[in-house]
Amino acid sequence: MKNQINTIPEKINESDFVFERPSFLSKIFNLKMVLNTASVLSLFVIWGLLVNFGIYRFVLIPGPAEVLEWGIKWMGSKDFWMDASLSTLRVLGGFTFACLIAIPTGLMIGWNKIFSDLTFPTLEILRPIPGIAYIPIAILFFPWEEASVAFICFVGAFFPILLNTITGVKLIDRDYFRAAQCLGSKPRHIFWHIVVPGALPSISTGAALGMGIAWMASVAGEMISGKWGLGYRIWEAYTLIRYPLIVDGMIVIGLLGLGSSTLIRFITLRLIPWRKAITESLDESITK
Amino acid sequence: MSASTLNTTSNLWKQVRKTVANWTTVRRIMSVLLFLLAWTILVQFTGQFHQIPTPAAVFAALFQLKLGVIFTEIFRSFVRVLCGFLLGLLIGFPIGVAIGYSRIANYLLFPAVEMVRPIPPIAWIPLTVLFFINIESQIVFLTFYGAFFPIVYNTMGGISEVDIRLPRAAMSFGINRMGMLWKIILPAAMPQIFTGMKVAIGITWLMVVAAEMIASKGGLGYWVWYHHTVMEYPMVILGMGIIGLCGALCSVGIDVIGSHFMKWRNIF
Repeated sequence: MKNQINTIPEKINESDFVFERPSFLSKIFNLKMVLNTASVLSLFVIWGLLVNFGIYRFVLIPGPAEVLEWGIKWMGSKDFWMDASLSTLRVLGGFTFACLIAIPTGLMIGWNKIFSDLTFPTLEILRPIPGIAYIPIAILFFPWEEASVAFICFVGAFFPILLNTITGVKLIDRDYFRAAQCLGSKPRHIFWHIVVPGALPSISTGAALGMGIAWMASVAGEMISGKWGLGYRIWEAYTLIRYPLIVDGMIVIGLLGLGSSTLIRFITLRLIPWRKAITESLDESITK
Repeated sequence: MSASTLNTTSNLWKQVRKTVANWTTVRRIMSVLLFLLAWTILVQFTGQFHQIPTPAAVFAALFQLKLGVIFTEIFRSFVRVLCGFLLGLLIGFPIGVAIGYSRIANYLLFPAVEMVRPIPPIAWIPLTVLFFINIESQIVFLTFYGAFFPIVYNTMGGISEVDIRLPRAAMSFGINRMGMLWKIILPAAMPQIFTGMKVAIGITWLMVVAAEMIASKGGLGYWVWYHHTVMEYPMVILGMGIIGLCGALCSVGIDVIGSHFMKWRNIF
């Protein structure tokens, strides 16, 4: 036994240390890729078949081919670019305002007990009111339609960002504060060097979540009060019986929403390279 | 005797002082009062806000409510929300468990779910109106769609984040696959599943309001929209408050059910 343990192989083969690289073909044709493509394809195939054979009321729903045809036509026209850019601007406007107000308020609420007592109960009362319910008030208050849609986006994005910022500050390890105080930091140093960077991962999650809800709110706002924009276009397509255009609009809204959320994650990951792993897990846990 | 009762009462008073009647409570009440004051001042003294009713007007509108009418509206919205939410739970929860627990199901279902998810539920309104004849089923479908994705994603995420040491320990005690799911994985994923349900019920209320505003077939959303069109603005704000209250009630209800399912959380 002793011999066996202590034996040193007389000759070390180089091949013992070289792992065989997976070939290009096996990278593509493994189980995962095959099933994933099957999944995506089956979505379109089932949709096409249901429409084609007109099961139940699927006769009324446009099929994939029609949608593609109308989509290409729509993309070529000036309307599309107008709609997409106006919707994006409204969402961005509302979202930027929400960030500008929610992040500082959230940081202060998480950090300062007195400020928290003074503001948080009011915000907690306002929070359960869904953004859509603000539409009548927004129409009443803003004479300008752009502003009323942007306001609804603002309300939608505000609370996810605020709550995630507060949680972010609350999750910071107490030891950092104590260490900073031992080393003689002033409150403003603690704020800029501990509270802000410590809450960033959570803020990033909240911002991505808020962006998604802002897109949703913008669609509702445009459907009810608007002249341009993707939500308005969907509703117009419905009233003018251009049904394939509805599906095109839905797809464009989905893509834009996904794109902007991904962009936010990408930017914020640049800001917080040290907590990459943690943000990713937080993302999955908090986002829908 | 009297000295001891005095002592206990003073202790009680101290307890009350400590928990209820302290500066924190005062500040919290002041927060709400300050908000109401700011609202009144803005409405009364600035030109921009003059169309929005004052808190006093909203409070006065509270006494003009016809209780029978408002309770039927609340009941209608509640039924729609609960139908959509339960459907979402019934369909979404098994799919979430399948995606989280089985690799094959993950490969098969996840890309398809991921492709539909970014489309916001409100963008589905025109297609839903086209597809369903019955208005109730339109609204229930929209609420279902709002509840579905948060439930699927949080169930999936909760299962994939279970501490790997728990299944390993169970395996070394010789547990079978079903037992692993019911006794280990699901209880461990429970907190996040309930987080998902809370997000879902919030979105469900949002969807019900949007769908009712467009469908105009009763419900709180329609009630708010109706009072907007007849220009009874205090009622609009009151309606928003009632919607918020109902949403908060539902989310508290889910918390209560959740704490019943997760009794071990109180121990640790």
